[in-house]
Amino acid sequence: MANRNNFVSRFLLNVDLPLIISIIALLAIGFVAIYSATGESSIYGRYTFVQAAAVILGSFFMLILANFNYKNFVDWDKLVYILSLLLLISVLIFGTTIKGTKGWFDFGIAYFQPVEIAKIMYILVLSSFLTKTVKEINKPQFIFFAFLILAGHLVLIMMQPDFSSTLSYFPITIILLFMAGVEIFYLFAIVLFALIAVGIPLMTTFFKLQNAVVEKSSVFVKILFSLQSGLTWIYLIIASLILLFLIWWFCKKLRIRVSILYPAILCLAILFGCIASISVERSLKDYQRKRLIVFLDPKIDQKDSGYNIIQSKIAIGSGGFLGKGFKKGTQTQLGFLPERYTDFIFSVIGEEGGWLFSQLTILFYFIFLWRALIIGQNARDPYGSFVATGIATMFGFYAFINIGMVMGIMPVTGVPLLFLSYGGSSIVSSLCAVGILCSIHIRRHTHYKIS
Amino acid sequence: MVWQKEYKIGYSDFFIRQKIVLIFFAILFIILSLKLFYLQIIKGGFYNDISEQQRIYSTDEMAPRGIIYADDDSVMAENAFIYSILFYPFDQGGLPAEKTILELNAILKKDIRPYLEESIRNGKIVKIADKLSMEEMFKIQEKKMKLNGITLVAEPVRVYKFPQANSHVFGYLGEINKNELMSGSFSGYKSGDYIGKAGIESVYDKYLRGVNGGWQLEVNAKGVQTKAFKYIKPEIGNSAYLTISPRLQKAAYEALAKSSTGRGAAIVIDVKTGAIKALVSAPSYDSNKVKAEDFALYLKDKNLPLYNRATQALYAPGSVFKIIAFAAAVESDFDIYETKYCRGYFDLGDKRYLCWYKPGHGRVNLMEALAQSCNVYFYNLALRLGVDKLDEFSWKFRLGEQTGIDLPNEKRGFVPTAEWKKSKEKVPWLQGDTVNFGIGQGALWVTPLQMAAMMSAVANRGTHYKPYVVNKIVSLEGEQIYQHSVETNGSVTLKSRTWDLLHQALIDTVEKGTARGAFFPNIKIAGKTGTAQNPQGNDHAWFVSFAPADDPEIAIAVIVENGGGGSANAVPIGRKIYEAYFFEGEYKIKSGD
Repeated sequence: MANRNNFVSRFLLNVDLPLIISIIALLAIGFVAIYSATGESSIYGRYTFVQAAAVILGSFFMLILANFNYKNFVDWDKLVYILSLLLLISVLIFGTTIKGTKGWFDFGIAYFQPVEIAKIMYILVLSSFLTKTVKEINKPQFIFFAFLILAGHLVLIMMQPDFSSTLSYFPITIILLFMAGVEIFYLFAIVLFALIAVGIPLMTTFFKLQNAVVEKSSVFVKILFSLQSGLTWIYLIIASLILLFLIWWFCKKLRIRVSILYPAILCLAILFGCIASISVERSLKDYQRKRLIVFLDPKIDQKDSGYNIIQSKIAIGSGGFLGKGFKKGTQTQLGFLPERYTDFIFSVIGEEGGWLFSQLTILFYFIFLWRALIIGQNARDPYGSFVATGIATMFGFYAFINIGMVMGIMPVTGVPLLFLSYGGSSIVSSLCAVGILCSIHIRRHTHYKIS
Repeated sequence: MVWQKEYKIGYSDFFIRQKIVLIFFAILFIILSLKLFYLQIIKGGFYNDISEQQRIYSTDEMAPRGIIYADDDSVMAENAFIYSILFYPFDQGGLPAEKTILELNAILKKDIRPYLEESIRNGKIVKIADKLSMEEMFKIQEKKMKLNGITLVAEPVRVYKFPQANSHVFGYLGEINKNELMSGSFSGYKSGDYIGKAGIESVYDKYLRGVNGGWQLEVNAKGVQTKAFKYIKPEIGNSAYLTISPRLQKAAYEALAKSSTGRGAAIVIDVKTGAIKALVSAPSYDSNKVKAEDFALYLKDKNLPLYNRATQALYAPGSVFKIIAFAAAVESDFDIYETKYCRGYFDLGDKRYLCWYKPGHGRVNLMEALAQSCNVYFYNLALRLGVDKLDEFSWKFRLGEQTGIDLPNEKRGFVPTAEWKKSKEKVPWLQGDTVNFGIGQGALWVTPLQMAAMMSAVANRGTHYKPYVVNKIVSLEGEQIYQHSVETNGSVTLKSRTWDLLHQALIDTVEKGTARGAFFPNIKIAGKTGTAQNPQGNDHAWFVSFAPADDPEIAIAVIVENGGGGSANAVPIGRKIYEAYFFEGEYKIKSGD
């Protein structure tokens, strides 16, 4: 009992208060929004119940993880990585398929999505790797190795396939590499690679959809449209490769010393990007592709994917300054708003709570991010800093993609708004991440014991 | 606080990178906040309208139009109703009681249960029965209190009295079309609305149309009606009180229909106010029958029944114009006793102009020439007056100008001038043109209404009252919304002697001249006939007049299209109208005759 008391009181005494307050505020807003969006009827009653249960369970894990010394993850990094891979593999074997994605464990009373927890494990593993190699990080083999760690997760997640979940892996990796001190140039090459890999299949789809309306489109679209044949792409790639070498050669002539490594890396990025695009093209499902396209122009697909964005914008916009009031949002209550208690929860807040509550939500989210990054700054070692920054990045990008999506400035991807969206797995794993943050924070003053 | 031990060296570098990440996220979140502000505060109203639009659905229940009354307060146009029954499934908690359904089944003689079930299943208002008989309607009305969720809906249908005689005054109703909706003059109207397409139904549409009612329903994303906000009862339009006398309308229309060609127009106007007592155009159409198939017939008819000849047809005035020439001559101080010899023709250069009376009138003065309508006298007169004088007096009597009657699409006619001929036809005005002008031929075009208005001004000695059909408009609550105030379109000022002589000459025309057919022993009538030559066919027969001559009350213009001579064809119609006015109404000087 005494031990238990010590456990909680130590947490409460040392915890970062703004962080906890912002989380409680976000959870509360989310809870009210879910309650409003799902109604009181017996069929929907379970949503609020499940959410409450997840919060309680998550808080329990949070306390355990806060008490647990995060330094142990460094020593166990291989184990953590293997465990995460096992989780992702087992869901491919034993998982349940929902909406075409084999990504859930069915526990009878609730579903659990292992990818949520795998993401946090990935942050732990990558941070550990970066801590160990921080002095030599600019050697290409280490960067390559970092991406190998990433690939392990990505391949398994793409096999489910769950395109949206992979999205947050990229910013986490890039930002952590940046924090570890990788040269901006390498990061640029990596981003270029990713853009080409995703961009090519995206454009192909875009042209297919635009086919009918291309005549009315802008000059820009027409130029892009001419690129749709495969041969043009090849010409373009060859031309850009030659151009790169010419620039390098020119620089050399001007006696500006530029290593041959730079153009070579860029060329490789482009080439690998093209190759990767083929596999992305194959793995992208039609609806995912359409969603990305719809982001460019919601009117292309007004009935289906575009409908969601349009209705969501109407919901948020019609909220005005003070909102329509709890349970009085017509978009929410009459079913115009899709996925209203999960991905589009922010639209519910926007409609019923108005600008006041939506801006408050964004503000609380930013306070949370800010505190997470401060925890990273104040950590006693690089590992703690990396983990905290990685977690902050994950939450930050989730929030930006989700809130951006519901307001029509980001494509529709099935990314939840952590802490607010309905979903047991994401709530529990989010609170686990907070637990790790607390663990880092609580131990910021602890000095190493020479072991 | 910071990294410890061996890591301390790299910390400052890390610290900077950390700040960059923080700034990066701050920018992302500021972007979100700006977009949020744009959506909710700047475009909030816009999105709110859209969200309201997509959740509110209104059923439309057409409002009855206002009643139209005649000058004697008899109803000329009203509404009939077609009843149907609607069932609305909101807040019902399932089907109505078994007993209620059976009762309704008994009244309607059909099983309504499937309709009710469909309504509840789809969450939509359903029409249970259409076109109820009066008996069914009353039975349901009796039990209305018990029948929850069941409403009787009345759809109004316009019914016009004496539709043939009055159709050109009433006009007719039709669904508003795209062009009208786009034109901008129909703000507040929506597609599917019925509007007046002609006559006063068109001109006074905004008064006569009621306010449509119906249910305002909330629909969800699936289109299911979830609840009814409110029911708005359709509101009947305002009543219009016309100056039209049904008795005169009927008499004029019947007389015209029985005339030699059955085509023509007649107008009766109150000379003291400009109130139109009758305005008919024959042939006519049935305002009650304006479905597409009826319209096809009207449009096919070579006699153009949809064409309001009284205000839209242009004719040469013929000898009726001699009234103006007469006034011009007296006003110019011509000697009225100066005579001319009529041989039956008049030579000008190598051209011969005929008088209508082939043997010739012999020696006539101005007064006799008007009464006998001697062309030769007026040929001479026209030459002496000249085209400019004739133009001046035509304009004084408002030829070539709209009267401003409250009926749509009135024509303005045309008065030729020397300049016009030179610029338009590239030939100078000739004396022959003046000669023709003098007897109301040539490029002179008038509407029958203009002739009636001219006659009214002659009768009241110079005031051009603006003709009108609608006297007042009264709301359902009895509030007077519109009252016509007598308006003038200026006046023609002539010497008293001119008026006296003109009136006398017109009385002579009826008593011993060409209009003898309109003579009554006890009422003094002043009038003028006309026979307008018409290159396309037979002459048009004119008769314009006013009565009683010593204290004029009404003026009349009658034209029978291609009817032939005015005395034989138009005068009898005028006579019928006078009979209806003086002897069948309360204005009885002496009964009998």
